[in-house]
Amino acid sequence: MSAPEGLRPAGTPATAPAAGGLVIEGLVRRFKGFTALDGVDLELPAGAIVGLVGPNGSGKTTLINVVSGVYAPSGGSVRLDGQEVGGLAPHRLVRLGLNRTFQVPKPFASLTVRENLAVAVGHSGRGAPLRPDILGEVGLEGLGGRLAGTLNASQQKRLDLARALATNPSVLLVDELGAGLATDELGELAHYLRTLADGGITLLVVEHLLGFLEQLTDTVVVLSAGRRIFAGSLRAAIADPEVVLVFLGG
Amino acid sequence: MLFEFAVVAGILFGVYYALLGVGLNLVFGVLQVVNLAHGDVVMLGSYLAFEAYYAWHLNPLWAVVIGVVPALVAGGALYAGVGPRLARAADPEMLSLVLFFGISQIIEALATVAFGNNQRSVPASSLGAAPLRILGERYPRDWWVVAGVSAFVLAALFAYLYASPVGRATRAVMSSPRESAAVGIDVRRVSVATFGVGTFLAASAGVLGVFLLGGVNPTEGVSITVTAFAVIVLGGLGNAPGTVLGGLVFGLATELTQTYASTWSGLVPYVLLLVVMLARPKGLLSKSARVA
Repeated sequence: MSAPEGLRPAGTPATAPAAGGLVIEGLVRRFKGFTALDGVDLELPAGAIVGLVGPNGSGKTTLINVVSGVYAPSGGSVRLDGQEVGGLAPHRLVRLGLNRTFQVPKPFASLTVRENLAVAVGHSGRGAPLRPDILGEVGLEGLGGRLAGTLNASQQKRLDLARALATNPSVLLVDELGAGLATDELGELAHYLRTLADGGITLLVVEHLLGFLEQLTDTVVVLSAGRRIFAGSLRAAIADPEVVLVFLGG
Repeated sequence: MLFEFAVVAGILFGVYYALLGVGLNLVFGVLQVVNLAHGDVVMLGSYLAFEAYYAWHLNPLWAVVIGVVPALVAGGALYAGVGPRLARAADPEMLSLVLFFGISQIIEALATVAFGNNQRSVPASSLGAAPLRILGERYPRDWWVVAGVSAFVLAALFAYLYASPVGRATRAVMSSPRESAAVGIDVRRVSVATFGVGTFLAASAGVLGVFLLGGVNPTEGVSITVTAFAVIVLGGLGNAPGTVLGGLVFGLATELTQTYASTWSGLVPYVLLLVVMLARPKGLLSKSARVA
């Protein structure tokens, strides 16, 4: 995300989102014999930030896609605030308060930035936006009238985050939002995501950049070949021989 | 004066061609499938006008109104039935082509059984007998009535797309199905509604087409689908406003060719289509106003 519009701390929402605890147990996803997720367990207490890391092909984005309803799980369970939500369609999950960002966003190109957010507010079924100045918070101030299709890649990522926040999520799955950002921008983003968590939004952050994650949380889950191989503190993960092996090779 | 006549006729036919294509384009934009049965629904609309006039002794334009609910329900129900299967398919585009081709053939066979093989028509005088004199030229009244009703239906469609919540959701799905779901839009419900609306648009084009397309027979569906496809490719696939421009270009090309080189009139619009595709592969409105 490039200057001039930096992320700035989120304002205090009018009311905090409903508590969003997410529990994933034994999650399995197969694609024609290939097991992309092989019994993954993961727990996100309400308001927590958990990092999800792993090498390419480890199943991180597949996990996000299954939890957000893009793919149905082949096995296991996903519970949101104690309610089983595994296999629900994405729009139903959004209405229950679970939303996500996309690694490669594709906003409604023919709608303005403001209309993109209006569509999100209008269809999420979760009431008026709790964050009235979302555009300002994500650094899109003054661009509300621009067609989303004319935004650059960095601005489209910001809009994608704003779009997800406009649905008032209690759980937000963040898929590699930091990719391509400069060091100072990563710091801003980490600070912004922390303020979202302070406001009550539970965050699962998929990220390759461990330095960025370090600014955000100390709790990580590491995937390798569709399996969870580590859960605990980031420092412990870095010292774990199996984690080191999958990242650096044997 | 011949030129002015051809231009005005081209515009009148062009507005109609826009209506003929817009349902096909709306369905393509939302569902990413080419409905090969589009022309057969147009054909059924023409028979509805025929029945309205001869069996029920109504002004044939009433068939547009009579067709609203059956078309919406039948189209919506059809897609509600086949949509989930298409969504599960490994190659939904290919399956949809085969599926809608099959539906097209079934409709054609049933229409042949029901109405026979003969060409049927409704007299142009049913829309008013006296020709209209515009700028010193006399035009068949039915051309103006058909263009007027087409423009009205198109205006209603764009009001639906731009001013109603379902219409805005439809535009959002046309732009990005994935992110539509991520803002809480029920993409499947929008798809069902869109197929219903597309079916109504095709049926209403059929009601009017019985005048402009020279009557109706059960086997005309395929050629109508081809014409509609040419119109929407000209304007841009998945681009509803572009269909209006595509229809006007197609209408003007057809009428000017019929006026000055009638032997070539069946060929020139498609040569134009190839030229446009080579110059602007995504259609005439692809860059400046690619909007749903």
